[in-house]
Amino acid sequence: MSLLEIRNLTLHYGTTKGMVQAVDKVSFSLDKGESVGLVGESGCGKSSIAMAIMKLMPPNAVIKGGEILFKGENILLKDDEEIRGIRWREISMVFQAAMNALNPVISVGDQIIEAIQAHNEMSESEAWEKVKELYTLVGLDPGRGKSYPHEYSGGMKQRAIIAMSLACSPDLIIADEPTTALDVIMQDQIIQEIVALQDRSDMAMIYISHDISVIAETCGKTGVMYAGKIVEYADTDSLFYDTLHPYTKALLSSYPSIKGEVKRLNPIPGEPPNLLDPPKGCRFYPRCPKKKEICKSQEPEYLEVKKDHFVACHLVKRAKGGGRAR
Amino acid sequence: MKEHLARERDKDWLEDMAGREFRTGLGGKWDRWTKGFLGHWEIFRKNKLGLFGLGLLIIFAAMALLSYIPPLIDPMYEPMTGVDPDILWTQGPTKAHWLGTDFIGRDILSQLLVGARIAFLVGITAAFMAVAIGTSMGLISGYLGKRVDMILMRIADIIMVMPGLLVILILSAVIGKLSVWNLVIIIGLLRWASVARVIRSQTLSLRERPYVQAAIISGASKGRIIFRHIGPNVLPLSFLYMTFGVTTAILVEAALAFLGFGDPGTVSWGMMLQWVWKTGNMFKAPYWLLPPGICISLITLSFYLIGRALDEVVNPRLRQR
Amino acid sequence: MHLGKFVLVRATQIAITFFIILSLLFILFRVAPGDPASLVIDPQMTPEDVEETRAIFGLDKPLYQQYLIYVKNFIQGEFGSSFYYGKPVLEVIGEKLPNTILLFTTSIILSALAGISWGKVIAWRRGSLLDSSVTVVGLVSHTLFLPWIALLLVWVFAYWMNWFPLTGMITPELWVDPDTGTVRKVLDVLHHMVLPLSVLFTIHFGGFMLIMRSSMLETLKEDYIVTARAKGLTEKQIRERHAAKNAALPVVTSVGLSLAFSINGGAITETIFSWPGIGRELVFSVSNSDYPLAQIAFLLIAALVLVANLVVDVLYAYLDPRIKY
Repeated sequence: MSLLEIRNLTLHYGTTKGMVQAVDKVSFSLDKGESVGLVGESGCGKSSIAMAIMKLMPPNAVIKGGEILFKGENILLKDDEEIRGIRWREISMVFQAAMNALNPVISVGDQIIEAIQAHNEMSESEAWEKVKELYTLVGLDPGRGKSYPHEYSGGMKQRAIIAMSLACSPDLIIADEPTTALDVIMQDQIIQEIVALQDRSDMAMIYISHDISVIAETCGKTGVMYAGKIVEYADTDSLFYDTLHPYTKALLSSYPSIKGEVKRLNPIPGEPPNLLDPPKGCRFYPRCPKKKEICKSQEPEYLEVKKDHFVACHLVKRAKGGGRAR
Repeated sequence: MKEHLARERDKDWLEDMAGREFRTGLGGKWDRWTKGFLGHWEIFRKNKLGLFGLGLLIIFAAMALLSYIPPLIDPMYEPMTGVDPDILWTQGPTKAHWLGTDFIGRDILSQLLVGARIAFLVGITAAFMAVAIGTSMGLISGYLGKRVDMILMRIADIIMVMPGLLVILILSAVIGKLSVWNLVIIIGLLRWASVARVIRSQTLSLRERPYVQAAIISGASKGRIIFRHIGPNVLPLSFLYMTFGVTTAILVEAALAFLGFGDPGTVSWGMMLQWVWKTGNMFKAPYWLLPPGICISLITLSFYLIGRALDEVVNPRLRQR
Repeated sequence: MHLGKFVLVRATQIAITFFIILSLLFILFRVAPGDPASLVIDPQMTPEDVEETRAIFGLDKPLYQQYLIYVKNFIQGEFGSSFYYGKPVLEVIGEKLPNTILLFTTSIILSALAGISWGKVIAWRRGSLLDSSVTVVGLVSHTLFLPWIALLLVWVFAYWMNWFPLTGMITPELWVDPDTGTVRKVLDVLHHMVLPLSVLFTIHFGGFMLIMRSSMLETLKEDYIVTARAKGLTEKQIRERHAAKNAALPVVTSVGLSLAFSINGGAITETIFSWPGIGRELVFSVSNSDYPLAQIAFLLIAALVLVANLVVDVLYAYLDPRIKY
């Protein structure tokens, strides 16, 4: 049984202008110890999925269909008390440090202790010991626990947030853009930390980013999202070297490479579709360099075209003998 | 480029437009004014409490206008001097006197109507003065910065820390009884401080906008920049503060009159309360005690609600999604 | 200690401000029409007293010397004699100041605390019936006319129901009797305090509550609230520990800003209830042209507001760890 299995998740947001179809029939699964990256432009729905897994959606979000099975049980059907038990203890989150994810008037250490004591019977001094342990683990000075968030640098805050996510040794960590807004050197350090932590434990991880190069470094599998749908999903190597979907190809070529020949960058022209009223056919149709007539009118099916390699595109032919619809 | 910047500036001013076409046929500037106004009205309209406040205000305005009528019907309805020859003391509501009479037989309803007139006059004039001075000071202080800013804001701080009502009390100790117009001027001279502070912060942020920077580079004079470019963009805020200013002015006048320091020649709601209190009729004459207080409270409420609704117009952040 | 230094710096600032106000008052009284001497010389004084007063205040000397004498006198507590009471102003004021402080601080603290806790609760239940009704109550109470509501409360609760005394702070007979214990005396004061306190509370509660409510609504949109929820904390924990703590800060600021305004209301309340405080003395002394008393009463009130501002500033600095001192 997979640790986490998402089946046909569909999520809409209610706004004054109508329903925004933010996530549409997304499916993927995750086993113990695996790491999956979700990459896509802003607004493609990746953060919404993360929030849905922990049932942290904003009040105007509506689940229109699908299931989120965590350890075999559908999270969407659980009541508040059950969810509270699962949160942090079994699934935790690493937020972007640049956001206001830490409460400015409570010391960082206290905020971590809060998380610990919410799920464990520990005295305050025991919890402080744990905090010091966690700090050492992520490379922070254990004596800095009593400081306040504004007294930390960006990199330190990010490490503290990571430390906090590890506090209850969860089975799954969802990292939502953890290194965005940090400078590249810090980014690199943090990514190394994350990879090291992951190697050492058997925690599963979902890594969300708009930066595909970061995901390439950290995740075993990668899912590319566009306009609320997963357009390609495969293990990271296959995705990079055997890219199938035109969007993924475009995404990869819009990044410069230090090695290799000097090529022109190819940004993808146009904008993602308006999700209030998404187009009937393939959502990437207007911007796709390889579009055909059928793409305009018919939505492509999400199929496994090669072993463990899923794509939703009319132009990709099924491998002989392979291809199961998901 | 200049066109673009001018458009940017006006866009700031007409921040959120209804998107409707409205041509007055008078040409560009007027069209933009009306469009902007209608746009703001759309937002204001959605705030039900604001509409309620506006409704109340209209009632009070009507009262103020109607106040001229009773004395014309019969001299005994003169609020200050009109005395009903048949009644020489306070009495409850009757057909001749819908709200009864006060302790020397004057009609309470006419007094109430005149009170509305005074409230508007005092409130609006004092608030206008305060806002006019405050906006100018705030613009100058915010734009020029440094020394001028420091001095002006120090003065403003000192004024703001002093309890206004009591300052006026002390002033009246020295100067003697204050006429209504003296009072209006003094209130204006005290209230500008809080308006100035707010306008100053707004000016500080607007100062960095591209169209202002462009104007500076193209050599516009300081005066022109302040009043032609930044000025119109702080006006909505000024207008907002005027509504708050009206309430405080009315309240100060009422409180002073109540305490016995008002202008003995004017009949205001505060005066009415003073009379009912000092003549010991407080417990016996609810028809006299209740109306003026209700009026003061309601007019304050109406301006406050309108102010809150206007706040939504001025601060897009506050609007409901 | 950092906090101590902060207090010292602010205290110096308010001392300077006070000094400026003092000087402004001096100018005001000298600029006034009429003989400046009449401001300190009681028409009923004996010629010897007049001579003495002239000497104390240096009325024959040039203006700048008078100013220096004025400041010196103030610092030394030489305030002159009240025309009305015939006693030194210091004596008169001395016994009234604590009464004002008692009423004023209690009302501010109670209304701020109540405003914060109610604002917190109704923001949490935004849109509910509780929210709408309490908001309306807040709006209405915030805009009530203070003297009027005071008169109403006196009429209903003191006159009609006879639950509370009409005026005053104490029942003289009780305090004169040597057998009355302290507890009884304290209860007596409290009994007299209920109505004036209610008036001030009603007027101030609404404003604070409305601010707390909007502050809370803003705070609830912050990212750290999502973090708190993600950690599996209960709704109550989130509301109290995370949201309310942050949302209360603007309310503290607003208390500071409204202090000058509140003291106006305090003075009016003291007058209506004949509460023996300096607010009432100021009003009386102005009506009686008791200039020495009026001046000092005003200055003391200004000082009270400044000190209260200082306390609020320090409190805010203490509550918000982001403030550096």
